[in-house]
Amino acid sequence: MDFLYHIGVLFCLYAILATSFNLLIGFAGLFALSHAALYAIGAYTTAILTTKLGLAFPLPLLGSVLFAMLLSTIIALPALRVNGHYLVIVSLALQIIVLQVILNWKSLTGGTDGIGGIPPYHFGNLVIDTPFRFMMVAFIALVLCYCIARVLIRSPFGRALRAMRDNESAAQAVGLDILFMKVAVFAISAGLAAVAGSLFAQYFSYVSAESFSINETIYILAMVILGGVGNLRGSVLGAAILIILPELLKFLPLPVDIADKIRLVLYGCVLMAVLVFAPQGLLPEPRGRKAMWVSPDGGDDRTDDEALLSSEGGKRDEIVLEGRNLGKRFGGVVAVSDFSISLKKGRITGLLGPNGAGKTTAFNLLTGFLKPTSGQILLHGKDIARKKPHELVDAGVARSFQDLRLFTNMTVLENVMVALPGQKVRSIWRLFLTPMAVRRREQEAMRKAMHILRFVELHDRAYETAADLSYAEEKLLVVARLLATGAEVLLFDEPMSGLDQTTLHDIFPVIRKLAEHGKAVCIIEHNLDVIKELCDEVFFLDEGRTMAVGKPDELMNNPELAERYFK
Amino acid sequence: MDLVIQLLLNGIVNGSHYALLGLGFGLIFATTRIVHFAFGSIFTFGAYVAWFVSGYMGAPIFLGLAAGVVVAMGLGVASYVGLYQPLERRGVSPLIPLIASLGLTIVLENLVGIIFGTGARTIDAETSIHFLGPAFFTSIHVWQVVSFLLVCVLLYLFVNYTRYGKAIMAMTDDPEMARVIGIDTARVSILVFALGSALSAIAALLVTLKDGASTHMGFTAVFMGFVAVIVGGVGSLRGAIAGGFLLGLVESLGLWKISTEWQSSIAFIVLFLMILLRPHGLFSLARR
Amino acid sequence: MVRKIIASVMAAGLLAFAGGASAQEKPNDPASYKFGAILAMSGKADWYGKVMSRAIQLAVDEINAKGGVDGIPLEAIIEDHKSGVAKEGVSAMNRLISIHKVQAVLTSFSPPTLAIAPIADEKGILLLNGGGTSAALLKASQNMFHNRTLASDLGLAAVKWAETRGLGDMAQMVWKNDAGESVAASAQPYWEKAGHKVVATEFVELGASNIDTQVAKVRVSNPSWVGLWLFSPESGLAIKKLREFGVKAPLIGIEYTGDIKEIAGSQVEGFEYASDYFTPSDEYPWSRDFAAAYKARYGEDPEFYAANYYENVYVLAEAIRRARAKGGDYWDGRKLISAIRENPVFDSVYGGSMTYQSNGVAKKRVAIFKVEEGKGKFVQYVSLD
Repeated sequence: MDFLYHIGVLFCLYAILATSFNLLIGFAGLFALSHAALYAIGAYTTAILTTKLGLAFPLPLLGSVLFAMLLSTIIALPALRVNGHYLVIVSLALQIIVLQVILNWKSLTGGTDGIGGIPPYHFGNLVIDTPFRFMMVAFIALVLCYCIARVLIRSPFGRALRAMRDNESAAQAVGLDILFMKVAVFAISAGLAAVAGSLFAQYFSYVSAESFSINETIYILAMVILGGVGNLRGSVLGAAILIILPELLKFLPLPVDIADKIRLVLYGCVLMAVLVFAPQGLLPEPRGRKAMWVSPDGGDDRTDDEALLSSEGGKRDEIVLEGRNLGKRFGGVVAVSDFSISLKKGRITGLLGPNGAGKTTAFNLLTGFLKPTSGQILLHGKDIARKKPHELVDAGVARSFQDLRLFTNMTVLENVMVALPGQKVRSIWRLFLTPMAVRRREQEAMRKAMHILRFVELHDRAYETAADLSYAEEKLLVVARLLATGAEVLLFDEPMSGLDQTTLHDIFPVIRKLAEHGKAVCIIEHNLDVIKELCDEVFFLDEGRTMAVGKPDELMNNPELAERYFK
Repeated sequence: MDLVIQLLLNGIVNGSHYALLGLGFGLIFATTRIVHFAFGSIFTFGAYVAWFVSGYMGAPIFLGLAAGVVVAMGLGVASYVGLYQPLERRGVSPLIPLIASLGLTIVLENLVGIIFGTGARTIDAETSIHFLGPAFFTSIHVWQVVSFLLVCVLLYLFVNYTRYGKAIMAMTDDPEMARVIGIDTARVSILVFALGSALSAIAALLVTLKDGASTHMGFTAVFMGFVAVIVGGVGSLRGAIAGGFLLGLVESLGLWKISTEWQSSIAFIVLFLMILLRPHGLFSLARR
Repeated sequence: MVRKIIASVMAAGLLAFAGGASAQEKPNDPASYKFGAILAMSGKADWYGKVMSRAIQLAVDEINAKGGVDGIPLEAIIEDHKSGVAKEGVSAMNRLISIHKVQAVLTSFSPPTLAIAPIADEKGILLLNGGGTSAALLKASQNMFHNRTLASDLGLAAVKWAETRGLGDMAQMVWKNDAGESVAASAQPYWEKAGHKVVATEFVELGASNIDTQVAKVRVSNPSWVGLWLFSPESGLAIKKLREFGVKAPLIGIEYTGDIKEIAGSQVEGFEYASDYFTPSDEYPWSRDFAAAYKARYGEDPEFYAANYYENVYVLAEAIRRARAKGGDYWDGRKLISAIRENPVFDSVYGGSMTYQSNGVAKKRVAIFKVEEGKGKFVQYVSLD
C-alpha cells in the first residue's frame, strides 16, 4: 500500500516541522510565522545542490540545514527585536518576501516552474525510490530531530527558553542573554525545518513555491496548537491527526463540485472546536516533576548558609555600587535628573519617596534596563553604565520587580535553577557532545537550588508550579531567585508590599541574613515601619533627585520630607 | 512625470481602501486585542452578498450595500459571540484566538464558494471617467475616497460624542481599566465587531464595483488592514488611517522604478523597515 | 531510473506485440474502469476545477448511458490539488493508485503535474493533460499526452497575429506563474527578433485584485498594442482596467472565458485572442452536441477547458477499447499508453481528428478570434511553423 507509506512519509515530515515549530512558539514563546519559508529554504537548497552541483547525501542535507540556520540568523536579528503581534506580522511579511525572492530569482530557483528531477537517495546500492523505503528514512530523521528537540528543551537551555517565554525582562534580570537565546532557538528551529525541507525535495523530487505558502505555516501551526503548545509529543500527535483527518474526510461521499470545499469547512470546524473545548491542546504542557530532566531525588547534602552566601573578600561598609548624578529623560520628560546613591557591602539601603518620584526608574538605571542620559554608574569603581542587564548580573548586580514577574509555568525549583550562574549555555553543542557532564552539572544545580529554597523555607513547595503559590510564597520565591543569581548587590523592588504582619516577620530575617553575609542590599519600600526595621541608611528621592540621605529615624523626623512623602 | 501623477492618484484611491480596511480591522483589534483574521472572509461574504442582491437579482446598489453590511455585521457578531468570547472566558493566551480565527477563515472562505459558486463576480454600475491633467480616474475611484471620508467623519462623531463611542475609546486605551470603571466590555466588543464588519462590507462593495469579487479576495484585504494597523500603531485609529494611506502610496509609487513582479513584497519591505525604525508605529498609544 | 523507464516501455511494447499476436486471448475485464482526475477543486483557481470536473462527469455519464466501454462502465474519481500545490497532487496520485487502483489520471496545472510525473512513469500510469501549459511539461514524463496547445505556442500565435496586423511597440502583462511566463518567454524574443520593441513588461499576481499600478505603467509606455499573457480571470480585469484608463491600443490575449467576459463587461468588445479553436458549429455535430448537452446540464456554455477534459475522457475510452481488442491483462496504464502510441489518431470534439505527436502533444489548430457582442468570432487560423 504505497498510499499508506506516502501518508507515513508526510507524517514524518510534518512531525519534524511541528516539533521544530513548537520549539519556537511553544518553548521560546516566539510567535514567528515564517516556518514554511524556512522549510522552503531547506527544500530549495537541497534541490539546487543535487541538480546543479550533483552532490549526494549527506552534503545536500547538511547544506540545507546550515544555510537555513545562517539565513534565519540574519533575518532573526532584526525581526526578533519586536514582540507579540509585531513579530507575527513581521514574520508573515518575511515569509512572503522569501517566497517572492524564490519566485523571482529564476536562474537559480527555476521561478514559477520550480526545480524537477531531483535524484532520490542512494545508500550504496540501495536506492530510496519507493514510498516504503523513504518512509523508513524519514522516520529515522524524525526520531533524530525529535531527540535533538527533546534534549534541548530538557536542558538548562530549554529551561532558560521557557523562562524567557514566561517573562522576558525577568529572564534578563536573572542573567539570561535573551538576544542570544532567541537567535539560537530560531536558528535551531530553522535547521530542523530545513531537514524536513531537504527530505521533501528528495521525496517528491520536485520543488515549487506553491508548496511553501502561508497556508503551510498555518497548517503546521494548527498541528502545534492542536497537539499542545509546549509539549513535544503533542506536536507529533497533532501532525498525525491533521495528516490523517483530511484523508478520512476523503471517504465521505459528497457532491463532486463542492466536496473538497466541504472537507475544508469540516477541517476548519474541527480546528475551532478543539480550540474552544481544549485550548491547551490535546496534550498540555508538562508541569511539576514531569517537566524536569534530572531526577529530583538527587541527595540534598546540607551545607551551611555561609557557603551558600559566600562573598569574596572585601570589608563591610565598602562601597560596592555607586550611581553618580544620574539623569534620564524620555523625550521631553525628565524622569530622573540628579540621582546619586551608594550601596555598601553588608548594609541594607532603603530607597524612599512618594509615588512617581522615580524610584523604579532609578532601579532600572542601576541594573542596566535603562541607559542613563547622563551620569556614571560604578561597580567597584569601574564604569558599568553601558552594560546590558544580563551582563550586570554576571558582574554581580541583580534586581527583583515590583510585580514579581515569576516564571509562572515553571516549578518553584526551576525558577531558582534558571537563575543560578552557569545556566547560560553558550555552547549548545556541549549538550550533545558531553551529556554526562551536563547531567552532572544539572544535579549540582539542583542541589544548590534546593539549598536556596531551604534558606527561604520554600523547599516543601519545590515541585509546585509557580503559578500555584500563595502571594507570600511568591514573594519568598522572588527572594530565592534573586539570591540564586549569586550577585553581591541585590536590589529589591517593594519586596514586602501586600504582605500581612506575620509574613513580614518571616521575610525580615531572610533579608537581614543576606546583609549579614556580606551582600549589598537595596530595597524600595513604601511601608515606613519596614524601612525603620530593616534599613541601615535611606535615600530619599523626589522629583527624580536625591533629596536627603541618612538614618531612617533622622529622615522620618524631617518635617519637610514627611510633607513631601505624604502630600 | 505623467506616470507619477497617475501613480499618486492610484495611491490615494488604494490608500483610502486600505485605510477603510485598517479602520475596520483596527477598531476590532484595538478594542479587543483579537487578531481577527476572519475579517477577510467576512469582507468576502459582504462582497458576495452585495453581488447577489445588486448583481444577480438586479436590485439597486444601495440595497446590495445594505444587505452586505447586515450580513457582515451578523457574521462579525456571531464570530465574537460564538468563538472568541468563549475563548476569552477561558482566559486563553492571545495566540489561541488567532489560530481559531484562521480556522474560521478556512470555513467562511469555503462556504462562500459553496453558497455562491466559484468564479469572478461583478456588479454593473454606471461609471464615468474623469481627467486630471494627464491622469485618469473613474467615478468609482471617487466613491472610494468619498465613502472613506464619510466613514471617517461619522466614526469621529460617534467615538467622540456618544456614550458607546467613548466606551470604545476607553477600551482601546486600557481594557482592564475600562472594566474597572464599569464599562460592559462584552457589549462594547460586540459593538466593535459589528462596526468593524460593517466597514469591511462597505470596502468590499466598493472594490467589487471597481475590480470584481473573487472567493479568495479576503486574504489580501485582512492582511493589508493588519499591516495598516501595525504601521500606524496599535490602538490608534488615526494611525490605521495613516498606515493605510502610506501603504497605498508606497505600493503605487514604489513601483514607479521597480518591476511589478515585486508588487506584493514592497508593502512588506516597508512594514519591515517601519517596525525597525519606529517599532510602535506612527501613532502609538503603547506605553511600554 | 532512465534505464528502468526504457526497460519498462520496451517491456510494455513487447507485451503489446505479444498481445497482438495472440488476439484470441480472452480479455481480463475489471468491474469498472476507474480513472482519476487531479484538479483545482479548492483554492484560488477553483473555477478551473469546477469546469473541468463538470466536463469529465458529463463525458462519463454519456459513455455509461450508452453501455460504457464494451459494456464496462467508466468511473471518475475527482481529487483536489488545491489550485496547484505539488504535494497535494502527489498525495492525490498515491491515493488514486493505491486505493482506487486507477490506470489513468487526468491532470491539470503544471506544478502538481510535474510532481506526479515521476510516479506515473514508475507505476506505468497514463497521464492526460488538458490544462497545464508550461513548456516544462514536455520533458516531464513519457506517459503523458496533452490535448491542449502549450502556452508558448499560443503566445507565438498571438505575436504572429500582431505582426500580420502590422503593429509596433508591444507592452505585455504577464501572469506571475509558469503559464504566464512561458507565454512571455516565447512571445518576447519573437517580437524583438522581428525588429520591434517591448516597451513595458508588467507582472500580475494570481488572484490579484489591484493592478492599477501595472495598468498605469502600461499606459505611459504608450504601446502600439498590449499582449495580455494572462489567464482567467485576471485577463478580464486587465482588459477592463486598460480600457478604463484610456488605453485604446489593440489588446491581444491567449484566452477568453465566461469569467473574462463577466469581469471585463462591455470593455471586452474588440479583444483579440489566440486560442485552440473550440467553437461549436453545425459543421462538426459532435462539438454542437457537446455544447448543447453541457449547457443543458450546467446552464453555461462550455469553455475550451471543458472541451479538453471532455475530450480526454473520450480519448481514454477509445484507448481502452483498442487495448481491450488485444485481450489479456489489458487494463494497465502501460497498455493504454502503447495503444495511443501505436495509433495516435483520435476523434476530436473540436471537429475532425487530432494526432498526438512524438512529444505527446496533439496539435490543435490555433486560431485568432475577436470578441464581438460578447462572443468570440473566428478571424483566421495561424500557422505556427
